Amino acid sequence: MTRRARWTDPKRELWLAWYATVAFYSLYAVVFFLVTRTQPPGKPWYTPEQVAGWFAGRHTGLLVGFALIFVLGGLSATALALITYSIRRMSVSRAFAYSYLILYAIAAVPGFLFICVAMTVGTMRPGRDPAVLRWLYDLGFLSFSGTMGVFLLGSLIWMTAILLDRNGVFPKWFAYLNLCNALTEVVVAPSWLFHGGVLAWNGTIAWWINVVVFGIYTGTFIHLLRQVILREDFGTGPLPAAPRRDSAHRVLEEVMAS
Amino acid sequence: MTTTHTGAGAGIAAASPTTTRHVPGQPDMWFFVVFESLIFTSYFCVYLFNRARHETAFLQGQSHLVLWLGVLDTVVLLTSSWAVARSIQHARAGHHEAATRAALLTAACGVVFLALKIVEWTRLIHMGKTFTSGAFFPYYFFLTGIHCVHLLIGFVVLGLLLKQLSDPRRRSQETVETCATYWHTVDFFWVLIFALLYVVR
Amino acid sequence: MHRTTGEQVIFWTLPAVAVVWLAAFFVFPGFLPPMSPTWSPARVAAFYQDHTSRVRYSMILFNWFCVALIPILMLIVERMRHMAHRTPIMRYCVIGVAGAAPIAFLTSTVFWMVAAFRPDRAPALTQLYNDLAWITFTCGIPFLAAICVFLALSIYLDQQDRPVFGRWVAHFNVLVAVALVPAGFAGLTLTGAFAWNGLLSFWVKNVAIAVWIVVMGVVLGRATARQDEGAEVRA
Repeated sequence: MTRRARWTDPKRELWLAWYATVAFYSLYAVVFFLVTRTQPPGKPWYTPEQVAGWFAGRHTGLLVGFALIFVLGGLSATALALITYSIRRMSVSRAFAYSYLILYAIAAVPGFLFICVAMTVGTMRPGRDPAVLRWLYDLGFLSFSGTMGVFLLGSLIWMTAILLDRNGVFPKWFAYLNLCNALTEVVVAPSWLFHGGVLAWNGTIAWWINVVVFGIYTGTFIHLLRQVILREDFGTGPLPAAPRRDSAHRVLEEVMAS
Repeated sequence: MTTTHTGAGAGIAAASPTTTRHVPGQPDMWFFVVFESLIFTSYFCVYLFNRARHETAFLQGQSHLVLWLGVLDTVVLLTSSWAVARSIQHARAGHHEAATRAALLTAACGVVFLALKIVEWTRLIHMGKTFTSGAFFPYYFFLTGIHCVHLLIGFVVLGLLLKQLSDPRRRSQETVETCATYWHTVDFFWVLIFALLYVVR
Repeated sequence: MHRTTGEQVIFWTLPAVAVVWLAAFFVFPGFLPPMSPTWSPARVAAFYQDHTSRVRYSMILFNWFCVALIPILMLIVERMRHMAHRTPIMRYCVIGVAGAAPIAFLTSTVFWMVAAFRPDRAPALTQLYNDLAWITFTCGIPFLAAICVFLALSIYLDQQDRPVFGRWVAHFNVLVAVALVPAGFAGLTLTGAFAWNGLLSFWVKNVAIAVWIVVMGVVLGRATARQDEGAEVRA
């Protein structure tokens, strides 16, 4: 009974998108931290020879890892679609939802395309001039962490929408967490100025603390999106509380919804 | 979702007791305060750790700061906090004009602080001490800069506060108190930054 | 009374764009046959010196029209409105990737044109721009593949008596997505089927895209016509 009910569940497209989101972020973390080892980032003060060594040491990891992102990177759109949908569910103008949609659609380009291309090109020819390699290294890391505008404004838009929302789609404290995430984009700005130290692209402040905040933010919104899907009543008024977990209640709801 | 426990709307001066609420303003704003405090604490730890490793260089940099300017900054912000607290008191008692005046004083103090900061930064830059020079000044400009960003956000928050006070139909004591909480946080961070950068030598 | 929605106007840009892209494809001297990743910097530099004009003009054409498929993609999104979906989430997914897809194409045209801008540059630098262009062009397929996957998924979920697109369109899109996958691995090798000039990364990928444009064009045209008919009958 439950298996059939789930297949015709009107929320199945939302759940598909949510699971795809979880898959994408998991893949992203594994590729960047473990396979390519581009996070934590390489050191900005490396000489061209050290950069050549950095590329050589990660040759296979970079190529394979970023090939996976080249193939599967489009999954990032599912997170974006869910968030856009959740903003649309709010009582605020759809302009908020569509602005967010566009901003984060563009974000994929600095968000992974540039670094994938720069690092792939960097490592594919082992004999390349180290000075050129360092140019690619800079391009990769700076475009990746240093492209701030889309995430800054996108977070502020989401924050504003939540604060003005009367449907209670997200808790207000999450609006403030969006502000914290937006501020990480301000904190990373000095990485364009420093070749070393805590404010460089690999620095304690500009990278480590920022990534902790970003990680908390991402984990939180993935969890909250799940709550939104559970609570969704396909109406336009305030979003009801999450359904109780007991199975009898769940079955009754599914019957009523189908 | 935002419920007001004290009297909502104009005229209800004698509010019901606030026993049902544990913190002033939205509890969510306190989440922000705690989270931002943790982040700032981590920045301060990084600062202190690095300072301990290069004490002479930091002392050298700090010697270029003018202590009394820092003191003045602190006094101005403390005044602004006092003003916003008065504003909340007036609002709670239903004296919305007095509350508005106090809020405007808060904003004025904020502007004075901003002006003082700009003066100080310009002075340092003319002396050749920029964001990227030396061991100390990256931290100085970063901490005062990120604080200033919080201050600028504070102006937006004050604007919201003033709007709340001016419009009797949309007034919400909780929102007003939430705004004040944010402003106090801005002041609080400054006091810590002042202590760390100007005083600890 | 037939309401002028303008969709027919958008639709008929598709064959025009296809002609332009095909023309640019043939004019660019580096596609037929595709340049090899194994060329020395000197040979790459010589290529740009010998074929400067053809590179520049073809890439200008591509740069003008690389985004021209966006309105067509939006027409598809409009057709998706009539699918038996409970939420607009699949449309948002498609819109999300439709925005990013042309940027990969656009960036590669920029790199090719920069390479051709000063053909007497140091050969190692020309080779760099050439590499950047080819890798972006070949490997920059995540958004295209995602469009196919989201479309296929949307069609599978469109369970009604008269679905907007036939089920075979979904199978076709899955096939195209699979055909695009090898191109993502083009950075791994300078020779062979996976290299950017190889069978899988160049021929299969580009033919798949061309076939997708043709097939989806026909399918879209028919779906749009059905839409208009329905509207006329109702009016």
